[in-house]
Amino acid sequence: MVFKLAWRNIWRNRTRSLVIMLSVSVGLFSGIAVNALYKGMMDSRVRTVIQTETGHLQIHDPEFTEEKDPSAFILGKASLFEELNTMPAVAAFAERTVSAGMLTTATGSAGVIITGIMPGKEAAVSGLDKKIIAGVMSWPENKKGVLIGKKLAQKLKLKKGSKIVLTTVDTASSLIAGAFSIMGIFQSANAPLDEVTVYTNINDLRAMLGLSEEIHEVAILLKSDSALETTQNILASSNQHLAVEPWQSLSPETDLMAGTINTYSSIILVIIMIALSFGIMNTMMMSILERKHETGMMMALGMSKNILLQLILLETCLLALGGIPVAITVAWLAIAYYGKNGMDFSGMGQEMMQSFGFETAIYPSFPAAAIPGILLIVMATALVSSLLPIWKSLQMNPIDALQN
Amino acid sequence: MENTVIDAHNISKTYHAEHIPVHAISNVHLHFARGEFAALVGPSGSGKTTLLNIIGGLDKPDEGSIIINGTETTALTSRQLVDFRLRNIGFVFQSFNLIPVLTAKENAEFILLLQKIPKNQREERIRNLFREVGLEGKENARPAELSGGQQQRVAVIRALASKPQFVLADEPTANLDSVAAFNLLDMMYKLNQDENMTFLFSSHDQRVIDRAKRIIKLVDGKIADDTSNLTLPS
Repeated sequence: MVFKLAWRNIWRNRTRSLVIMLSVSVGLFSGIAVNALYKGMMDSRVRTVIQTETGHLQIHDPEFTEEKDPSAFILGKASLFEELNTMPAVAAFAERTVSAGMLTTATGSAGVIITGIMPGKEAAVSGLDKKIIAGVMSWPENKKGVLIGKKLAQKLKLKKGSKIVLTTVDTASSLIAGAFSIMGIFQSANAPLDEVTVYTNINDLRAMLGLSEEIHEVAILLKSDSALETTQNILASSNQHLAVEPWQSLSPETDLMAGTINTYSSIILVIIMIALSFGIMNTMMMSILERKHETGMMMALGMSKNILLQLILLETCLLALGGIPVAITVAWLAIAYYGKNGMDFSGMGQEMMQSFGFETAIYPSFPAAAIPGILLIVMATALVSSLLPIWKSLQMNPIDALQN
Repeated sequence: MENTVIDAHNISKTYHAEHIPVHAISNVHLHFARGEFAALVGPSGSGKTTLLNIIGGLDKPDEGSIIINGTETTALTSRQLVDFRLRNIGFVFQSFNLIPVLTAKENAEFILLLQKIPKNQREERIRNLFREVGLEGKENARPAELSGGQQQRVAVIRALASKPQFVLADEPTANLDSVAAFNLLDMMYKLNQDENMTFLFSSHDQRVIDRAKRIIKLVDGKIADDTSNLTLPS
């Protein structure tokens, strides 16, 4: 009976109830859309980190991880490569030699990370070949060349063919320098990283550092994200002298951002719902005042305050929950469309987006995992909105109400 | 008295209108036996509705006690009173007071639903009462689709369906035309005769006064007269 009465009560004033349900729909749609956009941005950012920056996993000597010690090489790389070649979860891997240094030109200088790469393997892991916007990714062995990021090129006014000097320290902590030509300029979705990264051929860097076959880093790209933990455990177990780190440790700021983005979305939804709760509360108050005489009559007949409480709570919940199906359906359709076609944010400024490490095309992703939380927020909104109407109703005296 | 349904003893009630005390009821003693068909009459402001509300447990007296079938209702808590009203008293109000979003049948079984009476028993009682009051076929009509007289009949069915100790009717004919009022009173009189159901009206409608077996006249909150209706037609 309580449900039947509540359901019919909310349709007494059809327009008013529909307006409230529509408000809830719009609010909820906005909340889901923001959540989907953030999720799309973060998914894109994580993909960028994995596919162009860190790979899924990286292996270093623990000393290198801690201190960036140039003499902390990966020992036993042959057996490691053999293991990686036989692991079905591994899509590709690339070895690197890394050294912190200084890039100097005739007019300026900048601190950089010099990364010695094997172009073919690097392209398979980080897709560096797809990021070249000027020049080439590989060059004859007799030429000493480097690839620099667009941001660094702009900062130091460098272009393809410009001469630069790289200064670093070798394993004996002696200062060493070498002259290089800029063979190519790359641009990734992470402008701050582009500003500090210089790629050169691994053999050129080894020669400069006085190394032969040593490497500092192995970046691994997996076939599936879901294989990350298992692969990490296997590699860590079979290479206990090495540090096997997932992308979350290598790019903690991305992991933190991905973790907090849900909180931001929830906060936005809560703010929307708080605003909506006043509308729902107002509607319920109007509804209850309009029915004061009728409520007094029902109380006189013997309806307990407990049932009255259930009735108002149910009416408020129905008003709040009524907007959910429309909101979720419209949100799902809109997100499905933009998830496929992408949303172009280049109008906001490509550089601005890239300075935060984001692509300009965002593909929103339906936040299915967040839906239970969203429903809880709506339920809480209904509960909060019903408190004042419930209190007002419970204060009602049947005689006063009947005389209304 | 063994047959007493309502025993109102020394009831007084004073309201304060802008700090001025208004004695709505003063030292009223009344007894009603089972099967009575009584009317509280008197001019507006004489205290009829206040007395009816006190007897019905909707209001509490400042002094005195009400005993209904051995239970002193004036000593009950608000929560106990709600339950007592639900199980013992039938109410018929002046302006029909049906729930507009429920059908005639749903309105009629409202109290039975609150009492958690099983569906088959509810259905049978309501079906019989609709037949008795001549409303068969109107079960699924909404109140707005019924005439005033029909609505008041549904209200009477609602009051009677739970088989209360007695029915309190506050100005039940006030909003009815002559024919509807006559039919309603006829119906209640028949129920009183056939089922020995106790009815207590408050009214200043001569049509009600003419049909009451006992007439209690209130003036300024006091009983001015309490007589049997000798002019009652057979």
